[in-house]
Amino acid sequence: MNPLHCNTLTEAMLAAPPDQPFITMWHDEDEVDVVTFGEFVQMARCQAADFVAHGVTPGDRVILVMPQGIRVMVSFAAAMLVGAVPAIMAYPNFKIEPKKYRFGLSGVSKNLKARLIVVDDQFPDDLLSYVECSGDAKIVRNVVMQGGSSDWELPELPSDPDRIAFIQHSAGTTGLQKGVALSHAAVLAQLEHLSAAIRLTSEDRIYSWLPLYHDMGLIACFMLPLVYHLPVVMQSPTDWVMRPGSMLSLITQYRCTLSWIPNFTLQFLARRVSVKERPNFDLSSVRMLINCSEPVREQSIKEFLTAFAANGARIEMLQSSYALAENVFAVTQSGLDPSGLPGRVWVSARRLTDAHIAEPVEAGSNESICLVSSGRCIAGNRARIVSPEGVELPEGHVGEVAIQSDSLFEGYYNRPDLTAKAKKEGWYWSGDLGFCLDEELYVIGRKSDLIIVAGKNLYPQDIEEIVCSHPRIHDGRAVAFGLFNPDLGTDEIVVVAEVEHESDIQHTASIEDAVRNAVVAELGVAVGAVYLRPPKWIVKSTAGKPARSTTREKLIAEQPELRGA
Amino acid sequence: MDEAAQAQELVRYILQEIIHRPGTELTPDSPLVSSGLIDSFALVDILVKVEDVTNLRIPAGKIQAKDMDTVNLMLATAKRVGKPRKSK
Repeated sequence: MNPLHCNTLTEAMLAAPPDQPFITMWHDEDEVDVVTFGEFVQMARCQAADFVAHGVTPGDRVILVMPQGIRVMVSFAAAMLVGAVPAIMAYPNFKIEPKKYRFGLSGVSKNLKARLIVVDDQFPDDLLSYVECSGDAKIVRNVVMQGGSSDWELPELPSDPDRIAFIQHSAGTTGLQKGVALSHAAVLAQLEHLSAAIRLTSEDRIYSWLPLYHDMGLIACFMLPLVYHLPVVMQSPTDWVMRPGSMLSLITQYRCTLSWIPNFTLQFLARRVSVKERPNFDLSSVRMLINCSEPVREQSIKEFLTAFAANGARIEMLQSSYALAENVFAVTQSGLDPSGLPGRVWVSARRLTDAHIAEPVEAGSNESICLVSSGRCIAGNRARIVSPEGVELPEGHVGEVAIQSDSLFEGYYNRPDLTAKAKKEGWYWSGDLGFCLDEELYVIGRKSDLIIVAGKNLYPQDIEEIVCSHPRIHDGRAVAFGLFNPDLGTDEIVVVAEVEHESDIQHTASIEDAVRNAVVAELGVAVGAVYLRPPKWIVKSTAGKPARSTTREKLIAEQPELRGA
Repeated sequence: MDEAAQAQELVRYILQEIIHRPGTELTPDSPLVSSGLIDSFALVDILVKVEDVTNLRIPAGKIQAKDMDTVNLMLATAKRVGKPRKSK
């Protein structure tokens, strides 16, 4: 694509050819909403007039709590048109735990001190009281969209790229989400680098089920097509989870070329889409399925390729990226080197845990694991691996990923305390652990999930994968975590896993032995305690993955000996 | 299937496929998530089952946790927001 010649996101949007298709929002076979750029801009202008009538002025925060769809996207664009700062929050759904949702809603709305909070007319009344309003803030339901006058003139705004464009929230799994304020310049810089890295063309069409309150949904699947005038085919995350095959049928129907997905999607599709449905899918149009926001797992890639090879799934389309809300979006992207594939390396599991070094070994050799990279830094971005003391580590050494870029956030909104902790001397400390090898970045997990047993670094997902390879353990239903053992003076590995069938509970002793032996054999570390549970015991996140911290709490509540008595 | 039979089928499904705990008592009015009997992710599987027994398509985005807390609430919700299914 050509470089962008504009200072703000709204300038880029207003330059779109009016007849160009923009959003196809799929709800169901007989319910599909479609807008062109012209229609979208017209709706946004009307709503902008409405916002002004509600007293919104440049710089005011506008919180949007609306279901996934065209309306929330129009409201977002409308807020930017009047120079206000929109932020999209998760819309409640049946899978979200009400207590957790209320906590997030009140915390985030309090921190943003919004002028206007827009909720849709279906928004549950019992949740409204958790929206924290400051001073003269207003909550409005169901803002008029076609009602505004079309001859209303947009306010003259300075074409200043350093103005804040919007706030996106970092996807924290624990605690309150942090608001990341981003300027037009930062977002545009990111989009230019990203579009070059993925060799975006005017022929591309994006497919997404990603929520718009998350950077993958907001940046890759809304801002990118908005600025480059590309079509995007969308559905809501809940609709996708209910009917996972709909993702593949929409890609087939609309000939989509690009999609961003978190790693678990690959396995979820391979396991939940029935063999009967599969002949209907044609994935030959897809250039890139970009694995993003979770460590990339070779096992998931293999499973997907095996399941959908007959539908045109090819290893070349399975790309990866390391992205952070604090950086607007992508830091790295795979497929930039001549091989066109993310780096893959077999490393010694023992060296990785004992010495925290990724030491390449022969593929498939004993005690080795295969790691897949997230690619190379895109233009304008630098990543380095640092020790806890802040010393830059050499190639292959595992440490915290720190990044610097021309799209890096200024700070967390209204939270200088959190900003000071995360940003040091112009570098953002991500909290992710990884290493660099041959210019490629390998991300292996969150620092906070790391299990340190007598100086050995263990990544829960490696232990979980070994445990799940036992035929009587339900695949994907194991959680490993570290628990401090005061007698040993170090962490001990605790594993909890679901057996495949209720009746397997009678064989716990033999399963436990096999699991312990397998972990020692592959990682060289003994497991402290193994707990086997009946099917459906492990607590899952809204995405269906085991929720490590909640599962850990559940187990500790049941097992008094884990409470350090 | 009439509504009582649908409710019975859902109770059977939840007991056998989701809860797996022998001796658990469940009626169409037993609270499920709020009582801790099931976790909210299991609701996706249950909702797919509700679609099967009612032969309706349920727009999942229009449903809140409180609409799904008992089998009877689920069936009422399905009736309220569900659409006839075209294809399986």
